[in-house]
Amino acid sequence: MAATAQDAVFAVLCFEGPDRYSLAGGLGSRVAGLTEALAGAGAQTHLYFIGDPEAPGMESRADGRLVLHRWAQWISRYYPHGVYEGEMQKLYDFSETVPGDLVEAVVRPAVAQGRRVFLLAEDWHTAEVLCRCSDALHWAGLRRHATLVWNANNPMGFERINWGRLGFVSNLTTVSRYMKHYMWGLGCNPMVIPNGIPAALLETPASDDVRRLRAALRGGPDTPALVKVARWDPDKRWIMAVQAIADLRGAGVRARLVAKGGIEAHQAEVLDRARGLGLRVGDVTVGDRPTARRLAEALRAAGDADVINLRGFLPAPVLQALYAAGDAVLANSGMEPFGLVGLEAMAAGALVFTGATGEDYARGLRNAVVLETDDPGEIVRYWLQLQRRPDLLARIREGARATAAEYSWPAVIEILMHRLDYLAANTGR
Amino acid sequence: MARYLVVYTVVHQPHRLKVPAQPIPAGATPADIERCLFDRALDRRYLGQVAAKCYRPAVALFHDLVQDGFRLNIGFSETLLDQLAAWDRPVLEGFKSLVRQPGVELIGVEPEHSFVFYLDLQRFIRGLRAYRQRLEKGFGVPVAVTDTTEMFMGSDLYFAVARAGFRGAVMDGRPWVMDWRRSTHVYHHGLPLRLLCRHTELSDDVGYRFSDRHWSGFPLMAPTYADWVAACAGDFVFVGWDFETFGEHHWADSGIFDFMRALPGELRRRGVEFLTASEALDRFGAGAHDLPLPAFNATWAGDGGVGFFLGNPVQQAIFQLMHHAYNQALLTDDPRLVQIAVRLMQSDTLHMTQWFGRSDDQAQVSAYFTPREWWPLGPDGIVWHLQQVYKNFIAACGPAAVAAATRRATGGESGDDGAAIEAGPPPRGTRPPAEGGRTVSPRRAVRPRGRAAPPAGQ
Repeated sequence: MAATAQDAVFAVLCFEGPDRYSLAGGLGSRVAGLTEALAGAGAQTHLYFIGDPEAPGMESRADGRLVLHRWAQWISRYYPHGVYEGEMQKLYDFSETVPGDLVEAVVRPAVAQGRRVFLLAEDWHTAEVLCRCSDALHWAGLRRHATLVWNANNPMGFERINWGRLGFVSNLTTVSRYMKHYMWGLGCNPMVIPNGIPAALLETPASDDVRRLRAALRGGPDTPALVKVARWDPDKRWIMAVQAIADLRGAGVRARLVAKGGIEAHQAEVLDRARGLGLRVGDVTVGDRPTARRLAEALRAAGDADVINLRGFLPAPVLQALYAAGDAVLANSGMEPFGLVGLEAMAAGALVFTGATGEDYARGLRNAVVLETDDPGEIVRYWLQLQRRPDLLARIREGARATAAEYSWPAVIEILMHRLDYLAANTGR
Repeated sequence: MARYLVVYTVVHQPHRLKVPAQPIPAGATPADIERCLFDRALDRRYLGQVAAKCYRPAVALFHDLVQDGFRLNIGFSETLLDQLAAWDRPVLEGFKSLVRQPGVELIGVEPEHSFVFYLDLQRFIRGLRAYRQRLEKGFGVPVAVTDTTEMFMGSDLYFAVARAGFRGAVMDGRPWVMDWRRSTHVYHHGLPLRLLCRHTELSDDVGYRFSDRHWSGFPLMAPTYADWVAACAGDFVFVGWDFETFGEHHWADSGIFDFMRALPGELRRRGVEFLTASEALDRFGAGAHDLPLPAFNATWAGDGGVGFFLGNPVQQAIFQLMHHAYNQALLTDDPRLVQIAVRLMQSDTLHMTQWFGRSDDQAQVSAYFTPREWWPLGPDGIVWHLQQVYKNFIAACGPAAVAAATRRATGGESGDDGAAIEAGPPPRGTRPPAEGGRTVSPRRAVRPRGRAAPPAGQ
């Protein structure tokens, strides 16, 4: 490999980031994991993102190898409810002001040290700023020292992108073959670099935590607790999930659903449907700094609810414990560019029901249950069959953890570096 | 024959609007609203370039000339002084040193270079007075004569300037204003306020045509120009130029500095001496002639009428938005927002859209003075975003207007509209500067010569 992480300087541009303020979905987890892994591999790494307005504007981590640039904080102070509140205001500032800073604070010093710079930009919010970075680098006479990569994690905002311009100044990548094929329709042929998960997720969740949560969930073959973590979005097939719970109960299995959504309006439709199906819905609000113990207490307070609607933020260790404690995780999306939740749940050794779009990592009955339809009956049938095949269940869980290990960030970084080495040497972008 | 020459220059840089328009966060403070409206980085970039090409060498030039008996009258917009104070103190000190020289007279101007006189004449008067005080305090010299914005003058402005307490004012001696009169005398319009009328032709020979290779007078040499001045009938010739004429409108390689350096000697050889504006009033003010001023204002820009600023639908739309922005700001009872609204009235924004729908010489000048950074948006995009700046401001004032209305309805603090008017300077933006760009001084319709072609259609 010609390029090594130690020889390179990375600048990652993304709306989301590691701050709680900046975490809205899988994207924030992705860039947090990606940048930590790059820094861990020895690369000087900068992350420009819409950070917590109350946190320092710049923050060094990993012995200075990872520098967080919290951008547009003066705007975020007007929008306390997260990264996408005041989206247009933040987008303007990000597009206008990042390039100048990036050229002078990151690229020029790196070039002076004889290092190659890789600009990795994530999703539609960064398409414009990446083009402007290219212009600014040309203006500064530094363009040939930088390789620009724009990555699509999902098709949101694709209609806002000037593909001709973006493709001219940067190399396009995406996270799955499904997305690659999707983007063929736009006249692009992005390179696939898979998403990753932090290596820490591969560590077995604390057994005490898992035990507490299992006890609170009162799960088991006849009373399974199915966990679903996703935005309240029709693409995530929440309706299919609650219908499956109802159907399982109709089949004599007293299943319950632990639902952790976002703040999206689709929630009301899903929960109304659940009530309409005769399911009891209980809201559970977790506190500011939830632990597995506190979550278990909150779940117990939900009583006999068939659908437990978890509100609030759950940090990664608690989520991993919840995945492990549940009897299955429904990552049954109808359209998933990659499906990070499914992979994270597999890392916890969960039985994961995935969809069949961007989840390249999922292999039916080898490491997951891959659902090919939006029929709740498919979930029900698989569940009932697998209860009769504990050996297969065990193999799937084992396969899940092994697969997840292949997608840990250190492993993905190796793939990434090979891809970047090729791009730097051959595309001139 | 005229035996005296009165030279006036005005130094100005605008507060350029931020284009594309920046959306303003909901609930933004006045400081952050201003930060979203004006492009401080762009201003700083252009100031740096104009300072290098014009301000530094031209200050040195005039400093030398006044040591040798030359007389100079000079005015500064407040926007220019604020920018120099923020980004180039050495140039500011250079100007101060120049102003304190014997033979240099400081002239007042409308501080924001704005069209406030069309919207609120009382505020215009207060602005002239307040700025006069600031100038006198800052430069340590008295101010007796004033300019307005773009040398606008008409009947109402005459009385307004008189009410502001000045002894004299400058105006452009356009033929349609002067009629059968010569601009080479002192005039009045019924009050003690005296008027110095700019000699349009002789002023534009230097300010406009100096580097025009297609002009029959090209190349203009100091002896020739001195002949023309000396040949004028009347008491004195009053010429007025942008200070940026020297090194910016006409680059150094056009010979403009050499021309100016040689001019005083050539004039003296022809018996022409120099006067400051006050000296001209001392000498000729008592015999001032009556000048019927028009209801429509005259200006030194373009063809001399307001059509240069309000001649196309885009300019008229922006002018309407200036009204709405100002009125909305008044209804907030917040003096900081009112001050921003006044700044949004700057004439430069109208100057920068004069090119819309036109392709003549003046349009090329206007397009040239429009920041190069805007042109990738295209003409329609520029127009759309300029208007959006005003719309964003009007929307951003909404919550404050609601709060003010509520306060008044509940009998709370009710500060009348006038209270807002006496506000101090607005808070400044804090965006870091950017580099690069091109030097412009978008103000008068002075066609730049000896430089690259205007970037229309970029």
